[in-house]
Amino acid sequence: MRTLLEKSVPLLAWAGFTVLAGALAAILGYIVMRSWAVLHLSLLFGDVAPIDAIFLRHPVFDGLFPAVAGTFLLVLIAVLLAVPVGMAAGIYLAEYAGYRMKSCLSLLFDILAGLPSVVVGLAGFSLTILLHKVFPGKIGPCLLLSALALCFLILPYLIRTTQTALESVPLSLRQTAPALGATKLQNICKVLLPSKLTDILGGIILAVGRAAEDTAVIMLTGVVASAGIPRSLFEQFEALPFYIYYISSQYTNAEELQTGFGAAMLLLVLCGILFLLAFFTQQTLSRHFRR
Amino acid sequence: MGVLFQLAAYGCGLLTIAVLVMMFQLGRPLFVDGQFFSLLSQVWQPGQQLYGIYPMIIGSIRISFLALALSFPVSLGTAFLAAGLAPRPMQRWVLAMVRLMAGIPTVVYGFVAIFLLVPLVREHVSRGSGLNILTASLVLAVLIAPTMVVFFVNGLRGVDQSYCRATDALGATAVQRLLYLQLPQGWPTIVSGVIMGLGRAMGDTLVSLMVAGNSIGVPTSIVDSARTLTAHIALVIAADFASMEFASIFACGLVLYLFTMAVVIGLRMLVHLRTGSDR
Amino acid sequence: MKKYKLLSLLVVLVLQLSVNSAWSGALDPFAGQKGTLKIAGGTAHIPVIKEAAKLIMTANPDIRITIAGGGSGVGIKQVGESIIDIGNSGRKPTEQEIGTYNLHPVKWGIDGVGVVVNPDNPVTALSTQQLQGIFAGTITSWKELGGKDRSINIYDRDAASGTRSVFWKKGLKKSEVSKKANVVVSNGAMKTAIANDPYGIGFVSVGHIDASVAPVSLDGVAPTLDNVKSGKYPVARGLYSCTKGEPSGLAALLFDFLHSPEGRKIVEEKGFISVE
Repeated sequence: MRTLLEKSVPLLAWAGFTVLAGALAAILGYIVMRSWAVLHLSLLFGDVAPIDAIFLRHPVFDGLFPAVAGTFLLVLIAVLLAVPVGMAAGIYLAEYAGYRMKSCLSLLFDILAGLPSVVVGLAGFSLTILLHKVFPGKIGPCLLLSALALCFLILPYLIRTTQTALESVPLSLRQTAPALGATKLQNICKVLLPSKLTDILGGIILAVGRAAEDTAVIMLTGVVASAGIPRSLFEQFEALPFYIYYISSQYTNAEELQTGFGAAMLLLVLCGILFLLAFFTQQTLSRHFRR
Repeated sequence: MGVLFQLAAYGCGLLTIAVLVMMFQLGRPLFVDGQFFSLLSQVWQPGQQLYGIYPMIIGSIRISFLALALSFPVSLGTAFLAAGLAPRPMQRWVLAMVRLMAGIPTVVYGFVAIFLLVPLVREHVSRGSGLNILTASLVLAVLIAPTMVVFFVNGLRGVDQSYCRATDALGATAVQRLLYLQLPQGWPTIVSGVIMGLGRAMGDTLVSLMVAGNSIGVPTSIVDSARTLTAHIALVIAADFASMEFASIFACGLVLYLFTMAVVIGLRMLVHLRTGSDR
Repeated sequence: MKKYKLLSLLVVLVLQLSVNSAWSGALDPFAGQKGTLKIAGGTAHIPVIKEAAKLIMTANPDIRITIAGGGSGVGIKQVGESIIDIGNSGRKPTEQEIGTYNLHPVKWGIDGVGVVVNPDNPVTALSTQQLQGIFAGTITSWKELGGKDRSINIYDRDAASGTRSVFWKKGLKKSEVSKKANVVVSNGAMKTAIANDPYGIGFVSVGHIDASVAPVSLDGVAPTLDNVKSGKYPVARGLYSCTKGEPSGLAALLFDFLHSPEGRKIVEEKGFISVE
């Protein structure tokens, strides 16, 4: 019985790995295969000259440029909003909070981290309705509200990264500056944070990836299928992941579907790069740390 | 400056609570006189003033548990390789692959599934439309595998090095070490991984929206089309704000919120268990 | 690099020229206008509105038109709540809706709702009774209708859909729809779903029917524009765009455009019957 079990374990292990690797290969292979033919500049800009498109001299209708620009703006705003707040909250948890407050708050942040993104989107949408009641006719689903909801979605990652980074600073380093007369704030800003910069940076990059790929949140708070590049925070916008979802369910011809595969490839590469970047940032750090 | 830090932390905490309050507030038309619980057991038939979310709860549970059941052996197997069975350099490659998978956007999984998996299931398994619980679970199984593998590997590798050396010195094979030392020692982390995987499967919107079929009936078999709580929110979000249909999505939101709370608290209890057993 | 720039300039010039010369008349009123027009609701309307928006935004980049779906019910409610500027509807708004929100529906097209199956499906004609049976779930196999021995996969729309409400009223004669039906979110999604499912059946705006799906004639009448026009095909409806209060500004200009010869050409090109 025992030997049978022991013999079957490697079998299970290799079988499991093969299934997973096979799935990954199928997904990547299929996307690459189907998108290969459309991977050139016209995927982004359609028949408009790239220079004109980028300087907004000519709107792009047959390319992914508005969706890419929309995603870029969205992620930029969300991350700019989330990074200061998330880091501040993380610093508070690691350096200031008492034991009770800390466990209470981290329970809340764990819940926040676990919330399905559609629930966060729903919260953002509720906020839209409330605002709409206060300012009738002025505020509807828009770029700003999507960015706010996304910011909320990535906050827990930033808080947790900052907190664990600060808490892992060795005691010897932690006590040096105060011993020399530095204030607590000086110690945090000049010693503790810089010593863990790569760690925090890795967390931020991961948060960017998370914000870029999320579809459920923006679907509920302001993304539309056709909008062009937003000119203000209160306009609706297009985004890459939503475009992929939209095309998957309602492409009208083979070219549109091809563009959809192109968009999937683009998003895949984008998120892949972000993840690798985060991985290597943290890797260099941990090697540095071990020495 | 310290006050600002405090403000940020309290603000984030309050926002988390505010989400819960908001769900209650906006779903209130449905909650009067304890209707909430009857909602959980009613069917969805807006034409007849029935706004129950029972079919969606069943849909969510079926899909996520089936995904978990499919994903568990695969993830555990992969974790076994990464935590001891495979040769050293390969362990790193396995982990790198898992990390790469974690980086694939959800919508891309759904996109590929529609064109690759749905026709396969339709022609060879279900003879229905191919949009059903099984298809959604298969995709979700792949989606949650990276999360589970990372937890499993951490659990299996987290065993004290001295124990490992002891078993090695006794002449145990890698398989024996895994089975009789690493697995029993690392089980709380493994259970944590399972709970995290379940949470991700339950919380995912896009995959079930795209490939589960979204029918409003209560699913009776795994090749039935079904709608999950998350997909229901995405589908009904655009309804009239004053309607009961609209209020029902807050009931869905609330159920998902409470589920998340249960997951988080369950994980905490596991952590306590682990630190308790160390003592 | 220089060559490339020159070329791109040329392309833009040619594009602008061709656009301007072809559409200059109808698009003239948009010159000098500025602002955003948010449109949502009926999904049958999207191809026409999208094309019109493309022309308008190309002629005048200061105008921004955003287009979302959601369904007719959503369009009506959201325009009523002033969340959007124009709400599209694939059914006539009810008196109550018009009254509560002070809606002004403008009809710019006539459309039908046709039953569609996959082009590989040999079944091309159904009676109303058979249709009712299929959608109620009592007829479950294509074999009963002369097709393959495979179960029928029903595709339905959500409650907010105007296409659905017209189809349910005039096509199904208000009979029951099975709960096992898969639910899709728009006319486009319905077409894609049926095009991909050899054993599926659904209903879609006649204007959306193309080679990717096969129309099914109902009681001997095929869902074509001609039959809709002559009144032979009963499941017909108007395509409306609603504003809250009298249409004004960009919305009024857009409606004028849709009723102009150039606009009507787009409506017809996209498969609908245009109205004056």
